[in-house]
Amino acid sequence: MDILRKARQKAEAAELYEERREGVAVVFHGGEIESVRSVAVRGRALRVIAAGRLGFSSTAGGSDEALVESALLAASHGDRASFRFLGEGEGQRPSVPVFDPAAGAIAVEDLIAWGEDAVRRIGEEFPDLVVNVSLEGGTVDVSVRTTEGMERTERRSYLSLGIEVEQVKTGDIWSVHAARRVRRASDLDREALLAHLVQELRWGRKLAPPPTGAPPVLFLPTGTPVLLLPLMVGFSGLSVFLGTSPLQGRLGETAFDERLSLVDDGTLPFAPRSRSFDDEGVPTGKLPLIENGVISNFYYDLRAAALAGTGATGNGIKGGPLGGGGFRVPPGPAPRNVLLAPGEGTVDDLIREMGDGLIVADVLGLGQGNIQSGAFSNNVGVGFAVKGGRVVGRVKNTMIAGNAYDVLKDGVQAIGGEPEWTFGTLHVPPLLTTGVSVVAQ
Amino acid sequence: MEDRLREAVAQSRADYTEARWEAVTRSRVAFQRDQLMALESGEEAGGIVRSLVRGAWGIAVFTDPEELPRKVEEATELARTAAGHVADPITLAPVEPVEARWHGEVRRDFRGVPLEEKRRLAEGYNKLLLEHSPLIASTSVRYTDSWRTVIYANSEGTYVEQGIPDVTLMVAAMARKNGDIQQGFESLGYAAGFEAVLGKEEQALAAAQRAVDLLSAKPVQGGTYTVILNPDLAGVFIHEAFGHICEADFLLRNEPMRRVMQVGTRFGVEFLHVVDDGYRARERGNAPYDDEGVPRRKTYLIRDGILSGLMHSRATAHKMKAEPTGNARAVSWEHEPIVRMRNTYIEPGEASFEEMLHGIERGLYACSAFGGQTMFEQFTFSAAWGHEIVNGKVGPMVRDVVLTGNVFHTLQNIEMIGRDFKLEGSSGGCGKGGQWPLPTTTGAPHVRVRNVTVGGR
Repeated sequence: MDILRKARQKAEAAELYEERREGVAVVFHGGEIESVRSVAVRGRALRVIAAGRLGFSSTAGGSDEALVESALLAASHGDRASFRFLGEGEGQRPSVPVFDPAAGAIAVEDLIAWGEDAVRRIGEEFPDLVVNVSLEGGTVDVSVRTTEGMERTERRSYLSLGIEVEQVKTGDIWSVHAARRVRRASDLDREALLAHLVQELRWGRKLAPPPTGAPPVLFLPTGTPVLLLPLMVGFSGLSVFLGTSPLQGRLGETAFDERLSLVDDGTLPFAPRSRSFDDEGVPTGKLPLIENGVISNFYYDLRAAALAGTGATGNGIKGGPLGGGGFRVPPGPAPRNVLLAPGEGTVDDLIREMGDGLIVADVLGLGQGNIQSGAFSNNVGVGFAVKGGRVVGRVKNTMIAGNAYDVLKDGVQAIGGEPEWTFGTLHVPPLLTTGVSVVAQ
Repeated sequence: MEDRLREAVAQSRADYTEARWEAVTRSRVAFQRDQLMALESGEEAGGIVRSLVRGAWGIAVFTDPEELPRKVEEATELARTAAGHVADPITLAPVEPVEARWHGEVRRDFRGVPLEEKRRLAEGYNKLLLEHSPLIASTSVRYTDSWRTVIYANSEGTYVEQGIPDVTLMVAAMARKNGDIQQGFESLGYAAGFEAVLGKEEQALAAAQRAVDLLSAKPVQGGTYTVILNPDLAGVFIHEAFGHICEADFLLRNEPMRRVMQVGTRFGVEFLHVVDDGYRARERGNAPYDDEGVPRRKTYLIRDGILSGLMHSRATAHKMKAEPTGNARAVSWEHEPIVRMRNTYIEPGEASFEEMLHGIERGLYACSAFGGQTMFEQFTFSAAWGHEIVNGKVGPMVRDVVLTGNVFHTLQNIEMIGRDFKLEGSSGGCGKGGQWPLPTTTGAPHVRVRNVTVGGR
């Protein structure tokens, strides 16, 4: 018997989430292939509403009966469901293109060839560095069905390339890395990724003393999560409802620099976190979070929306804002693709504009500390000193600190014109800021 | 499943094959403010096969047990593909084949505790936090348990079955005033039964009070300080900053780094001893065998200030002419084993807390950790809270304390090691190579270090 029908015998309503991941992955360490892996994993999660109460359970490999029983058991000790599962035809929208056969059926031999190419190309210019590469590709088949007649299925492809380059000299060890995850093979621009790495490696050949005090700080796209991660949490409708977001009660307020516009978009064709529907079957859409500095929306899953007395926005994604957990965890509010509207100018323009300052490409300790408040204090993992509008070298033992909300309100000096994908979910241009303090040993 | 596993690896045509099948029983309760966010119990199972052909690994991860024989062939085939590209093949250090069965001993097996009771426990702690002060705006309380039954067989004749309990409790309170939000938390984890997370009311209340106190604490002033790390933070420091670079897989294909990490090199003061220890009953890094079927050990990483050992898998042990140390651990059936810590700590020294405070004109007492991260020699970790030290006395509370530095310099800069000691497993776990959260513990006495860079405004 179908699992939903089984659940329906003892519950008013049920929702079944199923995913099947199939793919391959290749790992290179120290310039050499280390392993090739295949994955074929099927996971399921069941939510039920029984006697008005919500229950959840998940399994991989387990039986239908056990899954239904566990969910019902949870419901018997659970709280009243504040929302209902989606019904037939609710919120149907045109589907978003997220499957590319060339990415989904990528051959192991191709991944190996790309890895070897990256190792060789970096080795040509930097023979003494250690190169690690990881590559993967495959498909995820997702289906969400409810006893209320909603049924949505989708095949999504993924392809990713990550390269890490390490320099080990006594007293000076550092590394740069670059990664890109796409859904469509033709979007994986390996040349751009390599160019990016090589640029940072060249900038980093020499060491330079960091500027200290409160110099202008240029966050390259890979450094922007320092400022944007607190927002990804702060714009969660659940954080707002619970009062852990400093944005609570501030819809419509100009809380950011008026040049800032931030959109959470689940519909961008083939973007890394695009999808036609979220993990509750709610169609994704395009949700402005900040419009010209004004707080315009928060993002919601079904439950947070019901608690807050508003509508779900198609942001019910397993793992919550910071991801992780997969089929094992219930959906929670999480952003899809977060896009910051670009301004003008190239990175070189911004470097010239800043005169003397600091470039932040990567930090240690991202997301640690009091992230809700926006406070950050990070070691600059990859950063460069700028003098007279030119990069003069790499900095060491340098920390930046500030508050993301303050910097994005009063400290935005310029927004670059060339956005890049980073952090798996962000599409952002470089940001030139003030109001970030810099401390060096 | 035991017979199937033994048969599958025996029939493999690869140079070496291992198969692992895990059945996991788990439950979870989570509250946020007045909302029950999760209440669940469930089971899952899955497997992984790893084959070595001419020095390259092929790996297959799967959830359908019927597919096991086919997955052995698939892993072998993938290894063969990789082997055509290998110049420096992997070889495994020899170990004695073993047959072993072990199941963790607990006083009260959480698998027999009704879900309702687990809910009541979490709800009780949550209520304590919520009622502690009107300034508490929100809370987060999470209880989890899991019992991993792991069976492992390899083509050398080893068969190991282990039942590994894990129970965690996290309580956090968010205090809010004039738009400012501060957090206090306690995070606990044990390889034990339900009893381990009972009676933690005092810790919960301390967390709530800390959140309130942090509202009126000043952000720390950035600069260079003499710092006393409390045992929690010193433990996180030794794990993050030093433990990770002693994981030999990081050195396997990194010759320059191997030269830095030469056994016999002086790394710290002579009264510094650092250990990774598999024998800590009821602690999260405790299980007799690792996921290559190698028995656990107690490994001195630093003895008398000198690097005296590394943590190894069979592959790294062969490469570095060492013995496998039982540190090849996998976080779940979705992953192959990689070199990981177990229970890692600084051994206690002789100083009292008063002696450590003595002579510090302007310093910092840094307590507990939100987290930490390293990039080779560079480390950073966020203290949950701190206090100024003024003229040898612990002064007002400060917040946003993030410490950073170079691990090699910092180990040399250790001035005193306390005679107290605390070993603690958190509710989270260690992350490495996409494998998170692996149950580990960290431990230390109070430790005094000079010249520590502290970020801040």
